[in-house]
Amino acid sequence: MSELLQFLVSGVTVGAIYAAVALGFTMIYNASGVVNFAQGEFVVIGGLTAAFLIAMGVPVFLAAVLAVVAGTVVGILLYRLAIRPAREAPLVSLIIITIGASIFLRGAMQMVFDKQIHRYDGFSGETPLRFAGATILPQSLWIIFGSFAVFVFLAWFMSRTRAGRGIRATASNRLAAALVGINTRWAMNLSFALSAAVGALAGVLSTPVTFTSYDVGVLIALKGFSATMLGGVGSPQGALVGGLLIGLIESLTAGYISSDYKDAAAFIVILVVLFVRPEGLFGKKLTERV
Amino acid sequence: MLEVKGLVTAYGPIEVLHGIDLTVNEGEIVTLVGANGAGKTTLMRCISGVQPVRAGSIRFEDADLTRAPDHARAGLGIAHSPEGRQIFGDLEVEENLRLGAYHRTDDITADLQEVYELFPILRDKCLQPAGSLSGGQQQMLAIGRAIMGKPKLMLLDEPSMGLAPVLVDQILEVITTLRDRGVTLLVVEQNAFAALSIADRGYVMETGKITLSGRARDLIADPRVREAYLGA
Repeated sequence: MSELLQFLVSGVTVGAIYAAVALGFTMIYNASGVVNFAQGEFVVIGGLTAAFLIAMGVPVFLAAVLAVVAGTVVGILLYRLAIRPAREAPLVSLIIITIGASIFLRGAMQMVFDKQIHRYDGFSGETPLRFAGATILPQSLWIIFGSFAVFVFLAWFMSRTRAGRGIRATASNRLAAALVGINTRWAMNLSFALSAAVGALAGVLSTPVTFTSYDVGVLIALKGFSATMLGGVGSPQGALVGGLLIGLIESLTAGYISSDYKDAAAFIVILVVLFVRPEGLFGKKLTERV
Repeated sequence: MLEVKGLVTAYGPIEVLHGIDLTVNEGEIVTLVGANGAGKTTLMRCISGVQPVRAGSIRFEDADLTRAPDHARAGLGIAHSPEGRQIFGDLEVEENLRLGAYHRTDDITADLQEVYELFPILRDKCLQPAGSLSGGQQQMLAIGRAIMGKPKLMLLDEPSMGLAPVLVDQILEVITTLRDRGVTLLVVEQNAFAALSIADRGYVMETGKITLSGRARDLIADPRVREAYLGA
């Protein structure tokens, strides 16, 4: 019983990271229709920047903020330098551009940082908390609550603020958005910035538990993408639930079957979703009248 | 109020408007008549800024619009109900209307009621996704969204496209109501007779040029217009 509880705890922790990555995917997808495969690199940039700053003696919270800022800047640059110049290109080309950007960013991180594996201490110490026979790292609570806070913030931002409404309108119909006075270019910049910030924050929070190095972004992005598919592309609730489910499935697979198959779990989920319910748990089937 | 001079624009290498001159005075209904592909929609797109201008100028009140960004024009008082309606299909009907007032910071409750009074069906469906509306309802929504911007100048592109005859009459009535409330309108219509019957003045466009212009009642009587566009 306590074994199961332990698996659930670690599943939720990892799942919360995937949820944050999936929320980043959702943000950019909703604004532009692009699936951004460089999303995992935002996570790594967050983690590595924080690790290097902390190693240099910068206070943890300042380092965390600076790392999120660094990720955000890279997100804006990705949009301005790679996506926007190709805005007339078909969607598939844009998606391939994001794959190219992720390879480029991995190379750049090798040079800016290094090829080592990095971590730093958890924000609230390293002493595990015990409950009901299971242990949980205080950093796991940071991850879980951090992801949930991101979800709540984004939901509020997108539905309640003027900027959020502008992004949703731009996503829905860019021409109409421009006609009602929305600066659609700015809306796109903002959604890439937010998405990158969310990714970098996930990296900052998770690095003490999962460790990070320049090349882990690919796997993180693919798992976040599985979570997005499972939850339903474009749905923030779906991203949250999908992330948690992928984390749990992964952790239970590792615990009860074999940790060798841990990484396969996410991809088996993608296949099952595509066969059984391609729109995902919360996705809507497209209905459009012409 | 609106002054277009020598306007030239192109899609890629192909020039589609070859020097358009057009004026709209405050309080007028002006209509653009012409066959498919004459450039009416393109001209509207230039005025609302979503189509870049190659040469010539567009002035609106005291502002030079020629190079102004598209999103700045709603705030200056121009609303465009575009061809093909272009509603926000996955957003609710009421959210569509509220977005029409995106550039405004004042209270919009009264305007929302006004639109619902003009188009009661929109009130009944206010919580539905706009994409689920019928074509005619979407057309009303597009016009309603333009009204929400409280524009001085409203550009209506094919407001009666695909509508049942009874709805066409309703739309024409709304257009004259808006004019009576002080809105200036530039209307593109396939249904030339309907448009000229409510307009003050009209322009006839052919292959990217203005070929004829004048008072609407004179155009209706003009044999060239009657033969080409009124089926007489």
